[in-house]
Amino acid sequence: MKPSRRVDPYWMLLPTLLFLFVFFLFPLGMLIKQSFFSWDLLTDARYVGLGNYRALLRSGELWHTFTTTLSMSTAVVLGSMAAGLGLALLLDRPGRFAAFLRAAVFSAYVVSWVSVALLFLWLLDADSGIFSGLWRALCGGRAPNWLGDPAWAPWAVAGVSVWKITGYALVLFLSGLQDVPSSVLEAAELDGASPSARFRNVTWPLLRPTTLFVATTSLIASFQLFDVVRVMTQGGPVRSTTVFVYAVYEQLFLDLRVGRASAEAVVFFAILLLLTGAQFLLFRAQEST
Amino acid sequence: MIARRELLGASALAAASLVGACESDAVPRGRTPVSLWFSYGGTNREVLEGLVRRFNARQSRDYVQAVYQGDYFEGLAKLRTAIAAGCAPVLSHVVGEVVPYLANAHVLEPLGDYPGVRDLDLIPELGQEGSWLGGSARTLVALPFNRSTPIAYLNADLFAQAGLRAPRDWAELRAVAQRLSVPNTRFGFGCPINWWFWVALVGQAGGSVVEADGRVSLGDEAGVEALSLWQELVRDGFMKPPPGRDYNAWEQCNQDFLSGRAAMIWSSTAFLKYLEAHARFRVVAAPLPAGRKRAVPTGGTFWIVLRGAVTEQKAAAVRFLRFMHEPEQVIEWSNRTGYIPVTRAAVKELERRGYYAAHPNDAVALEQLSVAEPWPWSVDLFRLQREIVQPRLESAVLEGSDARTVLGEARALALEPT
Repeated sequence: MKPSRRVDPYWMLLPTLLFLFVFFLFPLGMLIKQSFFSWDLLTDARYVGLGNYRALLRSGELWHTFTTTLSMSTAVVLGSMAAGLGLALLLDRPGRFAAFLRAAVFSAYVVSWVSVALLFLWLLDADSGIFSGLWRALCGGRAPNWLGDPAWAPWAVAGVSVWKITGYALVLFLSGLQDVPSSVLEAAELDGASPSARFRNVTWPLLRPTTLFVATTSLIASFQLFDVVRVMTQGGPVRSTTVFVYAVYEQLFLDLRVGRASAEAVVFFAILLLLTGAQFLLFRAQEST
Repeated sequence: MIARRELLGASALAAASLVGACESDAVPRGRTPVSLWFSYGGTNREVLEGLVRRFNARQSRDYVQAVYQGDYFEGLAKLRTAIAAGCAPVLSHVVGEVVPYLANAHVLEPLGDYPGVRDLDLIPELGQEGSWLGGSARTLVALPFNRSTPIAYLNADLFAQAGLRAPRDWAELRAVAQRLSVPNTRFGFGCPINWWFWVALVGQAGGSVVEADGRVSLGDEAGVEALSLWQELVRDGFMKPPPGRDYNAWEQCNQDFLSGRAAMIWSSTAFLKYLEAHARFRVVAAPLPAGRKRAVPTGGTFWIVLRGAVTEQKAAAVRFLRFMHEPEQVIEWSNRTGYIPVTRAAVKELERRGYYAAHPNDAVALEQLSVAEPWPWSVDLFRLQREIVQPRLESAVLEGSDARTVLGEARALALEPT
C-alpha cells in the first residue's frame, strides 16, 4: 500500500521512535560514553579512554564473569528444556489431574523471583534444609554447603532458576506437541514404530522450531539472572555466582564505579547482540529448510 | 495446552502473595521537616522509630520522617545515587569506612559550628576524634550513632559442660574450638569471613591495614598470620564459614549459634540483645582473645547531615542529633540493642544505676574500647574493603588459596590508580 503523502509513515512511527530514543538509544549512548570515564557520581568524572575495559580484562573479572554466566546459563537452559520437555510429554493428555499438574508447574513461573529465592534459602540451608536432610538420608555424612561452597553454589542457584522457568518451557513444548499431526504419529504406530522410535523419528524432529525458540529465549533470559543471585548469594562465595547483571550492579551501586559498570554493561550488551544475531540466523536457516 | 482458566488460576496464586500497605507520615503544618534515611531492620528499627516518635512528640518545631533504606550497603548505594540526583535526605547514617570518602566529595555538612555540638560529651574512641587517625584535626562531619566492637558470644551451657572458659589468646581459641567441635554436629567456632573481623585479627597479630604514613600494608606478616588462623580452623573442621556475603553471612552465623551448630561465634555487640533474647541457653559475651596483643576495630555507623539540604532543615537535623545524644535516648538505644553508649554521661548514669553489674555482657564492648584501634582517614578505605580485601579473604578461606599470595595481590591492586 502506498501512503497518500510521503511523510505519513514517519509521523506514525514517531511515537515509537521517540520511545526507543528516550528509553533505549539515548541511555545506550550515555552508557558507551560513561564507559570511557572514571566516575563515582559524587566527584568530577575523569576521562580514562579504554582504561575501564583494560582494568576489567587485566583483573580477569570480565572473563570470570563471562564464564560464570555462560556455565550457569548453559545449566539453566539445558535443565529447564529437559525438564520442560519431559513434563510436556507426561502431561500432554486430557484429564483434570494432568490439568492441575500443568497449572502447578506453570505457577512457579509467575511467582516473583525474590519469593522463590527466599523459599530456596530455607530449602537449601546447609544444616536444616530439606535438601541437606535428603542428602544425609541417602548418602550419609554432612551435606554439602549448597550456597556456601564455591563448587556447589553456582549449580544450586542454577537449579533454583531451572525450577522457576521450567513452566515456561513446558507451555511452549505443550503447544509444540499439539502441532505434531496425529495422523503422522498414527501412521508410524501402524508401521510398528515403538513409542521411543516415534518420539525420536517423528515428534522430536517436528519439535525443532519450538526447541530452538525455547533454547534461545531461555538463554537470553538466563543471561539476565539477578534477583535470585542478589537474594541467595550476593555473587559469592568467592564470586562463584557473580553473573553479568549482578557484576554491573555491584560495580555501580556497591563499589561506586560508574565507568567500570558501564564498560561491563557495554560488553554484556555486545554479547546479547551476538546471541540475538545467532538466533536470527538460526531461525532463517530453519525457515529455509 | 494450558487453558486460560489454569493460567489465570496460577497468576491469581502469585498475585495473592503480594500484599502492600502504604503509610503516610505527613509533616504537621508549621514544623520543619527532616528526612532521615536509616538502615536497620528488626528491633533496631523499632527502637529508632520509637525515639523519632518521641522527638516529634516532645517539641513542635521540627518533624523527623524516618524511612528504611535496606542494609548499610544498600542504604549507601541509595544515598549516593540520591545525592547525585539532588534528592538526598537531610540526615542519614553511614559506616565509618565511607565517611572519609564522602567528606572528600564535599557532600557532608560541617557540624562543629552548630550550637551544642561541641558540648556533646562523646566517648573519644567512638566519635570522629578517636575513630580515625587524626580525626580531631579534621572538620567535624560525623557524630557517633550505633557504635560497636566485635565480641565473642559463648554458649555458656556447652562451655560449662566442657569445663572451659572464654579463650584469652589465639592458642586457647584453637584449643577451645577443637574441644567443642563434634564432627557432623557442631563447630566449636563460627565467624563471618568478613573484613571487620580480619582487621581485628591483624591488630591482634601486631599489624595495621594501612600504616601511619598512608601505605597500604594489609598488615604485612600480621595480615598473613590473621588469615592463616582462619584457614587452619576451617581446614581442621573447628570453624564453620557461613554462606553468603555481607550481612547474610552475619545472620547465618547468628543462626548457627542460636541453633547450637556453633558453640562460640564472633559477631558485633549489636546482636547482643537479639542473641540473649532468642537463645535457649545462657549466652555469655567475652572480649576477643589476644594474639601478640589485644586489639579490636570499632564499627557501626555515624550520623551525617547532607550539605546540599536546606539550611533550616540542616539546623533541625542537628537539633534532632542533640536530642539523640541526651542520656535518656543514648541509654535506651544502647540497652535495647546492645550498641555501645556513645556519651560519657550515659555511661556514668548506667554505672550509677548498677546496670553493668546486673548485665555484665553489656560491659564487654565498652571495656574493649581500651584496646580499640582507630581507622586510617583514607578515601579509598571502603574500596580497599569491598573490592580488594573481602573477595580475597573468601578465596583464601573457602578455596584454600595461599594467604601470602592473595594478600600480595591485594596490596598490588591497592597501589593501582582508581
